[in-house]
Amino acid sequence: MTAKGRWWVYVVLTAGLLAVISPFVWMLLSSVKPAGEILGTPPTWLPGHVTGEHYRSLFERLDLATYLTNSVAVAVAVTVGNMVFCSMLGYVLAKLSFRGRRLLFGLVMGMLMVPGMVTFVPLFILVSNVGLANTYSGLILPYLVQPVGVFLMRQFIGELPDELIDAARVDGAGEARIFARIVLPLCGPALATLGIITFLASWNNFLWPLVVAQTEDMYTMPVALALYSVGQNSIDYGLLLAGAVVVVVPVLLLFTFLQRHFTQGIATTGFR
Amino acid sequence: MALSRATHRTIVGWTFALPFAVLFVVFMAGPVIASLGMSFTDIRGTDLRTPLNVGVIGLENYARLFSDTRFLRAAWNTVLFVVLGVPLTIVLALAVALGIDRGVTKFRTVFRVGYYLPVVTSIVAVAVVWRFLLHPDSGMVNGLLGLAGIDGPNWLTDPDLALPSLIVMAAWRGMGTLMVIFLAGLQSIPRTLYEAAAIDGAGPWQRLRDITLPMLRPALLFAAVITGIGYLQVFEEPFVMTQGTPLDRTLTVSYYIYNQFGFGNYGYAAAMSYVLFTVIVGLTVVQFRLLRPKT
Amino acid sequence: MRCRIPFVVLMTSLLAVAACGRETQTGAAPQQPSSVGEGKATGEITVWAMGGEGENLGRLAAGFERENPGATVKVTPVPWDGAHNKLASSIAAGQTPDVSLIGTTWMGEFAKTGALQPTPSSFDRAAFFPGLWATTEVGGTSYGVPWYADTRSLYYRKDLAEKAGVRPPATWDELKSFAQALKDKGGAAQGINLQAGGTGAWQTFMPFGWQAGAELVDGEGKFTLDTPRMRTALEYYTSFHRSGLSSSDRLVPGAQVADFVSGKIGAFVSGAYDRSVILKQGGPEFASKYGVVELPKGERAASFAGGGDLVVFKNARNADGAWKFIRYLSRPDVQAEWFTIQADPPAVQSAWQDPALAKDDFLQVFGRQLKVAKAPPAIPTWEQVAAVIDGGIEQAARGTASVSDVLRTMQASAASIGTGN
Repeated sequence: MTAKGRWWVYVVLTAGLLAVISPFVWMLLSSVKPAGEILGTPPTWLPGHVTGEHYRSLFERLDLATYLTNSVAVAVAVTVGNMVFCSMLGYVLAKLSFRGRRLLFGLVMGMLMVPGMVTFVPLFILVSNVGLANTYSGLILPYLVQPVGVFLMRQFIGELPDELIDAARVDGAGEARIFARIVLPLCGPALATLGIITFLASWNNFLWPLVVAQTEDMYTMPVALALYSVGQNSIDYGLLLAGAVVVVVPVLLLFTFLQRHFTQGIATTGFR
Repeated sequence: MALSRATHRTIVGWTFALPFAVLFVVFMAGPVIASLGMSFTDIRGTDLRTPLNVGVIGLENYARLFSDTRFLRAAWNTVLFVVLGVPLTIVLALAVALGIDRGVTKFRTVFRVGYYLPVVTSIVAVAVVWRFLLHPDSGMVNGLLGLAGIDGPNWLTDPDLALPSLIVMAAWRGMGTLMVIFLAGLQSIPRTLYEAAAIDGAGPWQRLRDITLPMLRPALLFAAVITGIGYLQVFEEPFVMTQGTPLDRTLTVSYYIYNQFGFGNYGYAAAMSYVLFTVIVGLTVVQFRLLRPKT
Repeated sequence: MRCRIPFVVLMTSLLAVAACGRETQTGAAPQQPSSVGEGKATGEITVWAMGGEGENLGRLAAGFERENPGATVKVTPVPWDGAHNKLASSIAAGQTPDVSLIGTTWMGEFAKTGALQPTPSSFDRAAFFPGLWATTEVGGTSYGVPWYADTRSLYYRKDLAEKAGVRPPATWDELKSFAQALKDKGGAAQGINLQAGGTGAWQTFMPFGWQAGAELVDGEGKFTLDTPRMRTALEYYTSFHRSGLSSSDRLVPGAQVADFVSGKIGAFVSGAYDRSVILKQGGPEFASKYGVVELPKGERAASFAGGGDLVVFKNARNADGAWKFIRYLSRPDVQAEWFTIQADPPAVQSAWQDPALAKDDFLQVFGRQLKVAKAPPAIPTWEQVAAVIDGGIEQAARGTASVSDVLRTMQASAASIGTGN
């Protein structure tokens, strides 16, 4: 551990950073280019002519308030659900020895590995038959406890020192109390990771909300953007890019807010 | 206490698992059984309204797969994607995470957010920019090669280079997520271990090999499993960049499955999905073995 | 413990399907057409329409609601992206609206599910372009009504053609020398861009196939992809790629028009929808720099017929209102009004005499082209066979296989896929 870091690391990271952010920068810049410039060859970085027409079209033609509300409601519900339920299951899978634990872990991993495409139509038939088509429940419930989150939490909670939990058990604390008072507070980085992964996946989900929503007032942002920018034979790249910029803002804000928690972990508390 | 401690633990365990278990029974079990059943029938898109009026053909769909040259081509491409892509993505992400966590003290937020941007950038914008970077005449990649006197190829239409180009693109896109996971994992390594190692005179490489990597094993396992599953099911890159061209060299199993579902060959596509599932299980088991905690 | 789960799953599913077997359909008796009552439409009519059509259909529906005060039309716009998936899933789950717009090449598949109502006999098929009406007919029964038309003609750079001293082509030979001149003297990197593979390449190739007198299926419904006429067409088509007049690399969506506007592509084959894209990218002053003509003739004139059809689902709550709404949308004056709103070329022939269309010289080219436009067979397996043709075109254009080998493989693959009947 050097106190200031090494200069060459800065150089390498900065060079990599430029390569990594260039598409994002291009997306920002191109969202204010006139249609002809976006796909022009050779492609350009800077707009020759700055226009706000795509943003204007986005805000005038689309009922953004409705779509954003739907997207936020679904993504927040899914994210909160996963953070709570995945860490609960992850905890017992990692730290409690009980009958059926291997079976449960097997199911979680199995669900993680089944390709989503194969269950798509049967799942929709099911959701539709129980009357959840065109409802928030239909959009949220199938994603409320995702196997990837359980696996992530199991991996991270498994790293917490056993002595800590055993000590609490000896003191007579119940599992719920241990989970809430000891385990969860130490899961900051893992929960932040799970939160951003789940939120992003839900936020960008396209096919499921498209099929579940039966009326336009249930559309989420990705569905609405596809509706307005992709035609039968043509694509409105301007609207698509402006929409992509608008859609990315909440995710970036969330990430910037959460990323501080990636580096606040148990290391600072000095266990082990 | 009437309950034995083991029974008590079982009740507690299943109580914690209840939300998952309920959703599994309600939403996941049925579709999995139904789709697995589909794979043993000749069900097609035209049977969607009468899914029980189909012929049971046993393992015929599965047998057919192995003489389907396009499937075999897709399988080979997918294997390449995993074999090259998984290590590449993990190494890059680990290097970035270590660099940010251990190598720098300033601008960490900038780096963390910056390296995460590819994950949140719209795939359409990503596709446009990558095509533009890889453009044979005006692309930046060939521009740089040109400076070195190399005549750059047409990356996305050259049968030998299209797939590697997509692999690099996928690694670039997937790196940010793994970086976050590794950053989180790095936090759970107690600083005292490093202090002890420093006293013993261990150099940076030794510390990486003897402390960081072993302590990061759960995160590495998670990253390897998730990336392995993701790349075995790789779909978006060929979908937006090449649609399987040139000459099926970027056709992946998931993309082929997607096509078969689109064509209405539900039984055949389901069989393919479960073959893919089996391979994923196999790879994951191997990864669990390789990255098992050493006790 | 873990091994037992897949076993249980396997057994359950086997039991579930063992109880049933495929019933062979009793005779192929054509379905009885639906009937439409007299009088005005009433009640709510739910409609799905994709993309811009969905965004703007409400404006047409207002006129219908004025004429039928008891009826309300509720339009849900659906993205084109994912529309096929949504329709298939909805049919499976029985979650369908009364009316939906459907891409013409999906008709065979969706009609065959039994989810669509046969077209009432009160619709006059002669009012529509024959190539378009053919897209609604599956196994001898019509399951919908053409709403708007799509066909392909030749876009070319007028300014480059003038510079090269050539006139737009009328025959295959002229097209070849036209492209050559646009490249050599006009300065276009590609004299003409002919899609050399990738999804939808068949839509650019088949006009040439039909022009050569080839057909996709014979009178008995068997594929005829490996015939001397098809061979003539594929050899002609790919000669453009082999001689460097057209690139054999796949273009990204939108790049064709961008390169046309920048002068890299001298000509290309596309539908009327590209006019607005060209003007958006090239600006209004570009209007004088390009032209459009009917595709050159081979043995006969031909092009691709596509677009969108309107269908009514079997489990429609308001089938009567649904068909009345479709009848309204098929009226020549409403078809012409729709053109002024959405710029979709009308599927009804007499609508083209409407002043809004008659004075539009650009559009009239497509109107003439539509008269000779042909549709692929409306069979459930069409999209899959089309993908085989796309792959064959790519191989032939790149020269990785000879035209005869490509056609033989195409025919064998198509035959093994079958027509799904």
